[in-house]
Amino acid sequence: MAAMQRVAQSSVSTSAAATSNYGGSSSFRGVETVISDQFPAGLRVLVVDDDITCLRIVEHMLRRCLYNVTTCSQAKVALNLLRERKGSFDVILSDVYMPDMDVMSADGRTSAVMKGIRHGACDYLIKPIREEELKNIWQHVVRKKWNENKELEHSGSLDDNDRHKRGIDDAEYASSVNDGTDVSLKSQKKRSITKEEEEENENDDPSSSKKPRVVWSVELHQQFVSAVNQLGIDKAVPKRILELMNVPGLTRENVASHLQKFRLYLKRISGVAQQGGIGNPLCGPVEPNVKIGSLGRFDIQALAASGQIPPQTFAALHAELLGRPTGNLVTAMDQPALLQASLQGPKCIPVEHGVAFGQPLPSCLVVPSQSSASFQAGNSPASVNQNGSFNKTAVIDYSLLSPQSNNSSLNIGQVTDGDLQTTGILSGYIPPASISPSVSSCSINADNCSSQQLQNSSMTFKASRQLPIVHSLPDVQGSYGAIKPGEVLDQAPFANLGYNDKGTCLPTRFAVDEFQSLMGSSSRGKIFAENIGTRVKQEPNMEFVDNSRVGIPMLQQFPPNELMSVFTE
Amino acid sequence: MDVVQLQRQLVDYKASLYNEAILDEQFTQLQELQDENNPDFVVEVVSLFFEDSERLLNELTKALEQQNIDFKRVDAHVHQLKGSSSSIGAQRVQKVCIAFRNCCEEQNVQGCLICLQQVKNEYSLVKTKLETMFKLEQQILAAGGSIPV
Repeated sequence: MAAMQRVAQSSVSTSAAATSNYGGSSSFRGVETVISDQFPAGLRVLVVDDDITCLRIVEHMLRRCLYNVTTCSQAKVALNLLRERKGSFDVILSDVYMPDMDVMSADGRTSAVMKGIRHGACDYLIKPIREEELKNIWQHVVRKKWNENKELEHSGSLDDNDRHKRGIDDAEYASSVNDGTDVSLKSQKKRSITKEEEEENENDDPSSSKKPRVVWSVELHQQFVSAVNQLGIDKAVPKRILELMNVPGLTRENVASHLQKFRLYLKRISGVAQQGGIGNPLCGPVEPNVKIGSLGRFDIQALAASGQIPPQTFAALHAELLGRPTGNLVTAMDQPALLQASLQGPKCIPVEHGVAFGQPLPSCLVVPSQSSASFQAGNSPASVNQNGSFNKTAVIDYSLLSPQSNNSSLNIGQVTDGDLQTTGILSGYIPPASISPSVSSCSINADNCSSQQLQNSSMTFKASRQLPIVHSLPDVQGSYGAIKPGEVLDQAPFANLGYNDKGTCLPTRFAVDEFQSLMGSSSRGKIFAENIGTRVKQEPNMEFVDNSRVGIPMLQQFPPNELMSVFTE
Repeated sequence: MDVVQLQRQLVDYKASLYNEAILDEQFTQLQELQDENNPDFVVEVVSLFFEDSERLLNELTKALEQQNIDFKRVDAHVHQLKGSSSSIGAQRVQKVCIAFRNCCEEQNVQGCLICLQQVKNEYSLVKTKLETMFKLEQQILAAGGSIPV
């Protein structure tokens, strides 16, 4: 009732009440304060929905996530608010039937989802909204920031140097938890200053000059693939592909970038085939001077250790393990049975090797090696980064689960960096899952020399199945390509393919170059999308600049106990 | 009646609401959202739902009485009702809304009218049931007991 009155009086209600209730920071004056030590607590969320019931529920859920919530029941008012208070919201959740701001709706129809995504929504939640989904909306903010950073990197701005410098400096400390935290503070602050806040309102705000995102949805990718096939992989050039695709708004650059990833993917697949799955041919020697550890990892550790992560986040992890989507932002359904399967499966201890490779490494998401098909890798297990010890062996296992694991490819890469004396193993189990024939391969690996960029995905099916498994391989001396910072920077993340089931197609939710494979099966008007994906990304700039951001999201991906145990290693 | 008896009655009653598919797990979620900071959260939200639903049902009734029915408008109302009913777990209302929207899409006037009647019936049912449940809860609290989870 209170909420409604507020809405009725002013149409907008804002509250920062959550903090005091949870004993969080006593001040919500600035997001910076909160973000600095308690991110994502304090995330400023604007909820717009003309359905007062939903509005109230979502508001309450968001408060429980310690977000700073503003509600609004009229789109018009919301738009005004956004114009007047530009930059005062991190995330906007809007009902889909309000023009231009599509995020949340009871309309689970594929077309509606597609429409929402095309209009710039970075996620699409189906009502009824679940608390778990809201706990992770901050990822969009983080992701967006990453993407912005990537752009900066490409533009070769001065920041690059700073980042490298900082990275090196950081590596000199032996990596204490505190260092990590400091870094995250810095970067968080920086972020809050530089960030363009609104996630969704690009469309509304004519003054916004952001580049439109290209979301390589399943459909789009299919068009791309068929164009490439038509031309022949050797003759496929961006310009020709673009012509064949004939998609308004798509640029040659978009296609070129996607083509590059696609080629790398093909190359990797064939390389794997030749090598019998062992050893990653794409990797060459690591250049020693790039031994910059990404301290991002520490953030997690630091946060976890210092209890800065709200208990609810941890609680959420458990919940999410139960078959709910999270880590990768997926709307998913509850499948307790599956949950069980995944929990019982042998766990693969994730280990991350941040510094290990002597290059800016990506965060690694490691998935339990064995789990049911419906296991959601995205939220589960673990990736851990260890920066602290350079003499560690890091093993990254990717297990991709797919019900139809024909043509599974095992991809294993391993690196040893003499300087750091760290050995890492990347092992990827990537059975292509194919539902729609044209989208049969399930992972695209963007590594070229610097290798550790893997993004795998697979889909989940409702039927639970024990899948094959991943193994950690013994150390193998791998050769990694010489990596120079510049090169690394040029590497774009990969694309994964999305899958669809029963005609329900969920476009990937990530902007630009990240693909998530989503599988949606719809029933009872809901869409359950589950995402199984392991990914290791190499996004060097994050490592240097946005350490905290690299770290935090991963947190979501592991269960607390593993997190702790691994970190305290 | 003593508290224990009331509590048992409430538990049985709630169970019947789930068994009859009047409520679904979303309602359970809603109850879980209720915490010490918002002790009346469920009642509050359900009241909002009642209020909004009644408004929507009136709008729908009016809209379907028109000579030239604006199906888009009808659909928008039904859509909203579907959203709010699903949010509180009133699944039978939600299900009728799905059929209702299909009728809208087909511009099936007769179908829409039937659905409207059905949705009103389902709404009344869930409203009565929820009110009975809240009353029971109040009785338990008044008798010094706690609400069984």
